[in-house]
Amino acid sequence: MSWQLDRRRFLRGAAGALLPLPFLNLMERKASGAAADGPPIRFMTLFKPNGVHPPSWSINGGTEFDFRMSPLMQPFAKHKQDLLILDNMGDFGFSSHANSTRRFLSGHHRNTKSASVDQLIASRIGKGTPHRSLELTTEGLFPNQIGCSYISYDSNGDPIPRESDPQLIFDRIFRNPMRNQAKRREMKSVLDRVSEDAKSLSRTAGAEDKQTLDQYLSVVRSTEKRIDNIAASSNDIPKATMERPLAPANLNEQVESMLDLISLALWTDSTRCVTYMLGNSNSRMIFDFLGVKEQHHYLSHFFRNFSRQNLDALLKISLWHMEKFDYLLTRMKSYRDHQGSLLDHSVVLYGSGMGHSDNHTATRIPIILAGQGGGLLKTGRYVRYAENQQLGRLHLALLKMFDADQDSFAYSTSPLPGLNGSDFTPYSEQPFESWVKQGDGTITVQGRLRLSDNLDEARIFLIDVQGQPSVRIDVAFRDFHDFNLAYHCGTAVKITGTVTEKNGQSVITKVQKLDSLFGKKPGSANG
Amino acid sequence: MGLGITLPLTKLSADNELDKTNPENPAHAAKDPTLNYRATIRPLLSKHCFQCHGDGDEVHGEVNLRKLETEQQIKAAFELWSDVLEAIDSETMPPEKQPRLTSAEIAQFKSWYQKALVDTIQPLPDVIRPRRLSAHEYRQTLRSLFGFELEVSIAEAEQTIVEKSLVMKLLPVDPPGPSGFKNDTSTNPLTTNVWDQYSFLIDDALDQWLAPGSREHLEAITGPIAGEHMTPKQANQILRWMLRRAYRRPPAADTVAASLATIAGSRGAELESALRIELKSVLMSPPFIYRSLLAKVDDPQSSNLVSNPSQVGKPVLYGRVDDHELAERLSYFLWGDMPDDHLMQLATQGKLRDPDIYASEIARMLADPKSQNLAYNFGVEWFSLNEISKVSNNPPVSHALRQQPIDFLNYLFMEDRPLLELIDSNVAFVNPHTAKYYPGDRKRMTAYRKQRGIEVEAVPNQRLELTNTPERGGLLTMPGVLAMNKGPVIRGTWMLERVMGEHLPDPPANVGQVKPNQRGENLSFRERFELHRSNTTCAICHNKIDPLGFAMQSYDAGGNYKPAGPTSSDSNKKRKQKNSNQAQNQNATAALKPLDTSGKLPSGESFDNYRGLQQILIKSQRRTVIENIVKRTLSYALARELNVNDMPTVDAICSELDRHGNLNLQEGTYHDLIHLVANSLPFTHAQPQHIKHD
Repeated sequence: MSWQLDRRRFLRGAAGALLPLPFLNLMERKASGAAADGPPIRFMTLFKPNGVHPPSWSINGGTEFDFRMSPLMQPFAKHKQDLLILDNMGDFGFSSHANSTRRFLSGHHRNTKSASVDQLIASRIGKGTPHRSLELTTEGLFPNQIGCSYISYDSNGDPIPRESDPQLIFDRIFRNPMRNQAKRREMKSVLDRVSEDAKSLSRTAGAEDKQTLDQYLSVVRSTEKRIDNIAASSNDIPKATMERPLAPANLNEQVESMLDLISLALWTDSTRCVTYMLGNSNSRMIFDFLGVKEQHHYLSHFFRNFSRQNLDALLKISLWHMEKFDYLLTRMKSYRDHQGSLLDHSVVLYGSGMGHSDNHTATRIPIILAGQGGGLLKTGRYVRYAENQQLGRLHLALLKMFDADQDSFAYSTSPLPGLNGSDFTPYSEQPFESWVKQGDGTITVQGRLRLSDNLDEARIFLIDVQGQPSVRIDVAFRDFHDFNLAYHCGTAVKITGTVTEKNGQSVITKVQKLDSLFGKKPGSANG
Repeated sequence: MGLGITLPLTKLSADNELDKTNPENPAHAAKDPTLNYRATIRPLLSKHCFQCHGDGDEVHGEVNLRKLETEQQIKAAFELWSDVLEAIDSETMPPEKQPRLTSAEIAQFKSWYQKALVDTIQPLPDVIRPRRLSAHEYRQTLRSLFGFELEVSIAEAEQTIVEKSLVMKLLPVDPPGPSGFKNDTSTNPLTTNVWDQYSFLIDDALDQWLAPGSREHLEAITGPIAGEHMTPKQANQILRWMLRRAYRRPPAADTVAASLATIAGSRGAELESALRIELKSVLMSPPFIYRSLLAKVDDPQSSNLVSNPSQVGKPVLYGRVDDHELAERLSYFLWGDMPDDHLMQLATQGKLRDPDIYASEIARMLADPKSQNLAYNFGVEWFSLNEISKVSNNPPVSHALRQQPIDFLNYLFMEDRPLLELIDSNVAFVNPHTAKYYPGDRKRMTAYRKQRGIEVEAVPNQRLELTNTPERGGLLTMPGVLAMNKGPVIRGTWMLERVMGEHLPDPPANVGQVKPNQRGENLSFRERFELHRSNTTCAICHNKIDPLGFAMQSYDAGGNYKPAGPTSSDSNKKRKQKNSNQAQNQNATAALKPLDTSGKLPSGESFDNYRGLQQILIKSQRRTVIENIVKRTLSYALARELNVNDMPTVDAICSELDRHGNLNLQEGTYHDLIHLVANSLPFTHAQPQHIKHD
């Protein structure tokens, strides 16, 4: 990794000599507010397209403080204490890509006349910064279903254009012409003139013109505000010496470059609210740098397009998404901010608008909150609610955290409990016993079935048994398919099969019988 | 022009007055028992629909038909009734297991729908709405204003893709609006980010335009500028010049006065700096960045609209749009650009109201190369031709494939070809990269020789008359168009939507994929597909999609013509690639069967292959195709989605273009179409804006 950091170095000393990255840790950031106000709290959202493959994503079992991270969360084990993993989020059946994209930050796909939650938060915390908020993405527009391209919506519910070129973002934040005093003066004169003009037009305008002019004037006003903020923003960060990111050679570089920029923008208090999409929903992206040749959307339908190779490819992509989340958190922890790290003073929301990526259900949507938000969140926990929760309740809870004066959001009228450690009703599972009975070459084992933590061997399953080593299941495709092992993942089963011993662990090499303790049989229909 | 055109469409005449003898008159209609909603239609709905759509705690699909009781509610729900008719007609509703409507009941509903709703709809223009310039329009307008293009300084090399236009690089990509076209920016608001980019672009343009070293742009307005700085008089001239053009209309006297006041009293360098700020203010002001902002409706009159669905019972005022608005609409429609001096002058003189002058102005503009906009923007967005760029990773090849339909559309528009040559034409535009698709005619192409040291390059197309390549001709058989839509379902859907104008709902989310051959089966993809969609829910759309898509099966995924199906070497290749997958192997074997490209449209016509389908499209289905052409063109010209009150205009234009209805006589041409659209009521008229409520 170190060569990569070297190549993407960000800071240069005044003489052009390289400034090593750890130096950042030595620089104490003075945020614009006085120290007595405490550090500003930032809100950052990372959107993961196309739902998840539940067997590799879901945490099953465990309790609020004692739980095992799922195979996909393995890159994350080191951040466990900074995470608040939510489960049973979402309360919908089938959901289209476009609807689930809207739902991610707007709570409900029919909530189309309101700003999304990030924008409502930005209007609480973003007023004093040079950029009220940043809306970023990885891909271009997906005109076929345009709703798949946007998670942030303005106060009319219209989509906010996104930006995807790290160089342009860098220019906008750190090379903005408005950093130049003469340019600011000129812009001030222009703003005075045009608002005078627009106001006089507005006096005689009809309703439709007036609506347009109002929108225009609000852009003029926020530009005025922004210029003042840029003028006032402290110059103690060596912005002039930051190096513009190079044109990325592949998607990975582009995304890392953007995550670098986001962390830097948050740290320098250039903005306090960022949304970033790792891809459009329904993304047709090809992850060639991971050695994957198929389109992401095709792979995400892992059941209807099932093959061993396709699933491996999908897991590679999903793991990459998690690695980027890890990258962001690691980067945010590396910045010192007042008496802590940038992450300590941020709320990071990671997730999707869809749960199961093949059948498009909007239940058990992947949602992780990270960072303490200066004490707003109580992290290091796995919170699985008893009932499926509306996403709108989460949004309402976030809005309350940021002091927004709002009693309902997206048809939800009560905030989601438990985020700051308050009481909530946890999911309770029917209790079951786990045990192993081993006979002559056969074994019967009862316990929870799960996917191997090592996604390079995603064909391997394990059954956890209380107080004993887990039993490994390493069977031919025929058994995997006939007994539909993936379907039962996360649930309690009783399996009888042929067994051998390997490295002191029992390994089932042929399944003879599988009974689900509580569940139904898997259906035969697709989807 | 192919037709003598009469224009009944713009008349605001007494035709709309209540005519007591007119059977379509609602007053009269009320007496016709079949049109009585309460007596005939409501009982029918009560019997079949209310159970789910009106009664009970849960109203399915948010459709509550019981609620619709008053005449006003019934008429206001026009679009809902259209959906109801389609659902009944296609037997989607009532759902399976519920009794169907009898054919007599369906006929009764249809008759009511036609007579009580459709026939009473009257043409009505929309309210004037300001609309932000699209990125493309902004680019063109800046270029016309300043006389030069803003470009990025990146070296262009063959086989790379570079966005040269600074405007297109900096402004966010426009999403298509509700109309499907990018010039419809109604859901694409101004943001602070766009504001910053505008500011940057205007700075860049003014830097060049006002550069002290090169005064030629300014001197074209002011005459020679002697000495180092311009005189106050010259600065005033420049400002007046800019105001008139940037606002695309003569500015009001107080606007001019306010603007001149900002530079009054200063001289020399100070004057030029004040002028620069004022010019920037003009170019950042609302009348520049929004179209139609200063538009007026002349002399609005009441239309006596008794039955306009959205405003039942209320008379609606509308009138001609002012001349400058008309000029602006026309130039953004044809050119995607601001009006030029000639057009603006005619508007100022009030001459655009003269039908002959208006017609000759349209003809002049169509002869101008700027009308390429119709092919390069309207055509490209209509047929989603940008998708072709993804067909090949080799830019000269994808350029060739994409440029082919663009040049063809440009030929249809610019050379005034008949409408249906879109589907059936013996002219193609071909270059060395695409010549292989025209084996029978490529010999007649002018030989192309690369310069020494050139390896690959993009090459302009040559026009080629097709006499001996029967498998090509018209847009649908172009290799790029075939290759951008892979597989019969995507091809069929594209044709249905883009050519036949039908909008399909999204497929249900939980449909599985087509099952592979089971052991012992040897079915072709088509046979397996037909098994797959025997489900009635699927069949509703797939009965429409599949015949169109499978007719194109004699063209492979790369757009090559393979009438006999894949050769054995193809399937060997396939076999090697997918060695591990048994089902795929069976696929390859199955594909060796002769191709079945025959089909039957839901309307009943059958055909053996694409040639047969093509004849159906230009003969028995011609009205459908023409109607789609008219709708798309009108929607682009108006830069908005069409509504119910535009449908009479669409019908009238279609009838005018295809008025012979006689299969042996030619339909109208693209110029006829453009003239009709440019003269239509929604294009030339508007309702005044609503009164604002503070």
